[in-house]
Amino acid sequence: MDATELDAVLDTVRDLIRRRLIPNEPEIDETDEMPVGLKEEAARMGLFGFAIPEEYGGLGLTMTQEAELVMELGYTTPAFRSMFGTNNGIAGHVLMEGGTEEQKKEFLPKLASGEWVASFALTEDGAGSDPAGLATAVRETADGWVIDGSKRFITNAPVADVFMVFARHSEGPVAGEISALMVPAGTPGLTVAPKDSKMGQHGAWTAEVYFDGVTVPKENLIGTVGKGYITAMRCLAHGRLHIAALCMGLAQRALDETISYAGQRVQGGSVIGDHQLIQGLIADSVTDVMAGKALVRSAAVEFDAGRDKRQAPSVAKYFCSEAVGRVTDRAVQVYGGSGYMRGISVERFYRDARLFRIYEGTSQIQQIVIAKQALRTAAGK
Amino acid sequence: MTETTPELAYLAGPSTTAEAAAAAVQEWIDANVPPAWRAAAEEAGPSAVRKARTPDEYRAWYPVFGRSGLVASGWELEYGGLSWTRDTVKAAETVLGRYHLPRLNPLGMNNAAAAIFAFGTEEQKRRFLPPIVRAEELWCQLFSEPGAGSDLASLSTRAELDGDEWVVTGSKIWTTWADTASMAILIARTDPDVPKHQGITYFLIDMHQPGVDVRPLPHMGGETEFFQVFLDGARVPDSQRLGDLGQGWKVAQSTLSGERQMVAGASSGGVDRIGGAGTVQLVRLAQRISDERGDAWDDPQVKDKLVRLYAEERVRAWTNRRIRAGLAAGRAPGPESSIGKVHQADLNQRIQEAAAELLGMAGLAWSGDAADPAAYARSMPPEVRGMLRSRANTIEGGTSEINRNVLGERVLGLPKEPDPWQGKPWREIPRG
Repeated sequence: MDATELDAVLDTVRDLIRRRLIPNEPEIDETDEMPVGLKEEAARMGLFGFAIPEEYGGLGLTMTQEAELVMELGYTTPAFRSMFGTNNGIAGHVLMEGGTEEQKKEFLPKLASGEWVASFALTEDGAGSDPAGLATAVRETADGWVIDGSKRFITNAPVADVFMVFARHSEGPVAGEISALMVPAGTPGLTVAPKDSKMGQHGAWTAEVYFDGVTVPKENLIGTVGKGYITAMRCLAHGRLHIAALCMGLAQRALDETISYAGQRVQGGSVIGDHQLIQGLIADSVTDVMAGKALVRSAAVEFDAGRDKRQAPSVAKYFCSEAVGRVTDRAVQVYGGSGYMRGISVERFYRDARLFRIYEGTSQIQQIVIAKQALRTAAGK
Repeated sequence: MTETTPELAYLAGPSTTAEAAAAAVQEWIDANVPPAWRAAAEEAGPSAVRKARTPDEYRAWYPVFGRSGLVASGWELEYGGLSWTRDTVKAAETVLGRYHLPRLNPLGMNNAAAAIFAFGTEEQKRRFLPPIVRAEELWCQLFSEPGAGSDLASLSTRAELDGDEWVVTGSKIWTTWADTASMAILIARTDPDVPKHQGITYFLIDMHQPGVDVRPLPHMGGETEFFQVFLDGARVPDSQRLGDLGQGWKVAQSTLSGERQMVAGASSGGVDRIGGAGTVQLVRLAQRISDERGDAWDDPQVKDKLVRLYAEERVRAWTNRRIRAGLAAGRAPGPESSIGKVHQADLNQRIQEAAAELLGMAGLAWSGDAADPAAYARSMPPEVRGMLRSRANTIEGGTSEINRNVLGERVLGLPKEPDPWQGKPWREIPRG
């Protein structure tokens, strides 16, 4: 996609967010439901497949372009991005990174068009930040692959058409290895629990998913047997940069609201933005947002060039998710008492932002990835 | 008023010795505190009592405590206490403390009573203090307004004299317990043509009347702890004005300093922190999570954080103890309550944040119904509730920014922030 086309997409998305999302944010938070018809509108704009290559029906954005788009998407409730985030991100990437050409041709267009909503089913009770503790089991039978186990906090599970499931082989020469399998919703033995209650990001649904002797055909194994762990890691690296950009979108929004409020709230005969301590809070947030955006953009360039697909995404995810936490916290502080009340935008952003420091690798996991890479580089390995 | 004379009135007066008081309190406890609560306290300590009873059961029993005179035994007999000396009160509290009998009506006991003692007429003291002690009249505080938070003195709720009654119109926000209160302390503007601090008067207003409308204001955690109170022609007799006309700001100061101590945990009401549990529970949580998941306990980052927070909380607790000792020795609450407030608010947020962080993903999503606010609030893990509640700590009772200004000006003697509107009539000052 060239620069002019990208600008057109960004303009349309910006317009959609201001027209359909921002005015409805309080209602989305209150009811945990997205506005009717929004999914179709997003699908028409190609948002279900912006990261999927054009040959498979997507927009084929580079990481640099995707970062710009996601910073726009982040300007409203994160539930909006979640509608199609998994199709493009971790779930779609499972096919792009690990699928055979046949699988890509058959399934990616369904994801790119929004015909299918996909869920990335990796997280378990005992396997969160570290997929190595994965316990969901898969074994080969004459009828196909049989899966037993359970997954937690699976985004879009209540509405998913297909699950990209990571499971560990329990038998045979590949015992202990992890594979990725595609499981259609409605397969006998697959149950989705009622959606979770969450601190924030209302409108985006997560749920537990149970597999009780779920059988899928042989061809539903993505790519080759035992390639699942590598695939998951690759998907997560791309996803980290994506989340970093998303954080900066929300940070920009919280900052804009903060500045606007500080410029109109009158206390002591003047607007509170005249007070130095309020200016200090604003200056720190402007600095966090500018630094975070610059970091996302430079990490995206490195990613596209293939120079750094590991450390820089972690650095960006770590810094930007912590930064959006600080920015939304300061937004509540500047709003004062009203910022603590339900129904006020910054209160919601504060709750929405908390998840970013935890999912797709906690800050503590990112620190380990960053440090290990740094030490490895220094050791010349 | 024989029916309101405290049950232990026969022991009232400064001549009762500490030993006699301690013995009388123990005797009263044996005769009046339900056996199950007593047994829990005597076998497993004060904290076990909370498990032996529900808050509703405690409220139902409370009138027995209220009538005894022991709730505020240092107050004069005619105000609902027993006129005991400081040493006698201390001896009585030591015995009571073993049975965990927290005082209800904290805004009545701390805020309203402080102002009534300092500025009330004899008639007002006799009318209002005994029902505060017995929690028969619960109180709330009508101070903050949508347009007057950090700059409270700019408040615009008006009170206008009509015969021997004041007619009050305006709205108040962030009002805790407005739903259960039958009385409120209120500050309102009685003269818009003088500088803002000078045109305010302090009243004791009846909440149960047609001109008072109380509406819930759910907060970040989904719970309703605060209310907005709309005053539309509400009436308050001039006999319930506390202090002189235009003296309201000065009267309110006695209340506000008390509130900062409450948030800092230095108050005699014993509110150690608002939102969440302390570091001892934090350490236990880390241990429990380790037992379940096998991490946290051995994680050096977690250990480092726990030790830092624990040490800091100890320093805070010792400082609070020093403040309390000062108050007990009769020294007026000073700027140290602002220091404590700034530090405690920030510290508590970090403690609660650490607790929620220990839960990992379980602190962000759980089983429950997100669309029903009450069910949502109930289903929330206590650590998450504590974390969200604690976010208000740097805002409520004076924001940390305002308190830093107070510290800079009054403690360090730094120059005051220039106020171009100083001395100008309230009417001329721009408002939001």
